[in-house]
Amino acid sequence: VSGWRLTLKQPPALRVDLHGVLPSGLAALDAAAIARLPLEHGRETLALGDLFAVTPHGDDETLVLDGDCARFDCVGAGLVGGTLRVEGDVGDSLGLQMRGGTIVVEGSARDLAACEMAGGRIEVHGDVGDFAASTLPGSMDGMRGGALVVRGNAGDRLADRMRRGTVTVHGDAGDFMASRLVAGTLALGGRCGAHPGYGQRRGSIVFYGARPEVPPTFVPTAHEIGVFWGLLARDLQREGGAFAGLALRKPQRHVGDTSVAGKGEWLFVS
Amino acid sequence: MIERNGIVVDDTFAEAFPMKATRLVVTAHTMPWAMHAALAATGFATSVIACGCEAGIEAELAPEQTPDGRPGVALLFFAMSGKELAKQIERRVGQCVLTCPTTAVYAGLPDGEPIALAKNLRFFGDGWQIAKSIGGKRYWRVPVMDGEFVGEETTSVVKAVGGGNLLLLARDTDSALAGSEAAVLAMRRLPGVIMPFPGGVVRSGSKVGSKYAALTASTNHSFCPSLTSLVPDSALTPDIRCVMEIVIDGLTAAGVAAAMKAGIDAVVERGPQAGVLRISAGNYGGKLGPFLFHLKDLV
Repeated sequence: VSGWRLTLKQPPALRVDLHGVLPSGLAALDAAAIARLPLEHGRETLALGDLFAVTPHGDDETLVLDGDCARFDCVGAGLVGGTLRVEGDVGDSLGLQMRGGTIVVEGSARDLAACEMAGGRIEVHGDVGDFAASTLPGSMDGMRGGALVVRGNAGDRLADRMRRGTVTVHGDAGDFMASRLVAGTLALGGRCGAHPGYGQRRGSIVFYGARPEVPPTFVPTAHEIGVFWGLLARDLQREGGAFAGLALRKPQRHVGDTSVAGKGEWLFVS
Repeated sequence: MIERNGIVVDDTFAEAFPMKATRLVVTAHTMPWAMHAALAATGFATSVIACGCEAGIEAELAPEQTPDGRPGVALLFFAMSGKELAKQIERRVGQCVLTCPTTAVYAGLPDGEPIALAKNLRFFGDGWQIAKSIGGKRYWRVPVMDGEFVGEETTSVVKAVGGGNLLLLARDTDSALAGSEAAVLAMRRLPGVIMPFPGGVVRSGSKVGSKYAALTASTNHSFCPSLTSLVPDSALTPDIRCVMEIVIDGLTAAGVAAAMKAGIDAVVERGPQAGVLRISAGNYGGKLGPFLFHLKDLV
């Protein structure tokens, strides 16, 4: 087993789907075989070696994408193990339906990052676009497990229909954050746009930044939740950054969305 | 026969047998409330002969040692099968921990076969219970009148060792009790073991079988001072007027051996003038269990 570094020679003219280019798959190949892997580019098929220079990178199951990969979609899609590191930006569908392993993006990701993710960890140092941790069109469940960490900001419809797992956004989020949230945990360090928790069924949203206006379909609860908070806050504050010191604070809790008989919770921490 | 500091140590062995065990961590708002739950949950759990399981308090835990940052207690439960252990855990946690004000319950072992902890107790929530996955572990939050009961979904069961023992043969009741108390105190400092009988000590040591067909165990007549001159196989001499037994269950054989050694050392250190004159152990001729703890290896 060995790791590989793919250094982008120049950005492609069209978008390229990187489905199947995963650390585990490449670890069993030699450099020449990796360079011959086919990539769809519009109506033509290119060899991976046409776009990337292939060089060894360590002995573990690691794949490094070096360069601005904003025109590459589905980076890390279906990942089950190993580590994928992107030293730049990526396109849409980062970590789509991944089930294990780790993805680190030093730049930003476009729409549908961590979409229907079921396990593993994605860490994006920059921003993510719309529908992060949400569903593919027509699907009932969004993110189903694992952890998505966004050091920057997230776009609209973050965690739409999310069912399980943890999303932490250190910056701001767009409109309709956690819309139709089924379950799971979403922690926001900054402010969010309009209509957060629209149609929320269950799940927890931690607001550690600006407190949004509470809609009339969410109701306060006054009971003691110190035990649960002790477990959750200690776990979240391991991410550091905007969530440092979270366990020292006490949250205020609201429950909703009662318009859909929801039992979801909002935890305001200030 | 070996002599240490004037105390005779029999050339015999304690015979222990395999059990299934789990560790639970019970926390509460204050240590007294954690202890209330712990004492209730481990009550009536001295022997698998009639209690279903053997259980005890392993250690008190400071807030920084518990999952939720509150004071807590580590409990160990032992049973003859994983199925019986699961039944006992559900009953005892459901009736003694869930009911106790402010408590929460967590699995205390990282690995092993999972059995239900709060997995079934959650139905007490009547539909208002909430599942929560935090840090790779799944918890249930059940609404109760003081707020919410938090419990980890499952706890891990591991292979363990039950029935390690020491017999302390003393000249009278006072010295037998004092020696037993000193030994139990030393043993309780060790992790991974419990002494399940009241105060860690049992005065009704048993043998397998009985003259009565319905009974599976009966008094260990060889160590009863009232029978010294009456039974042909008495293990006692006339100067022994009181015998106490300490039974030890442990997560590992090494843990049981360490506890037995700690107990022996504590008694030996007190010397014969303290009244414990001999140390022995209970066995069944090596037929009952695969774990044999020879006293000569522990002194």
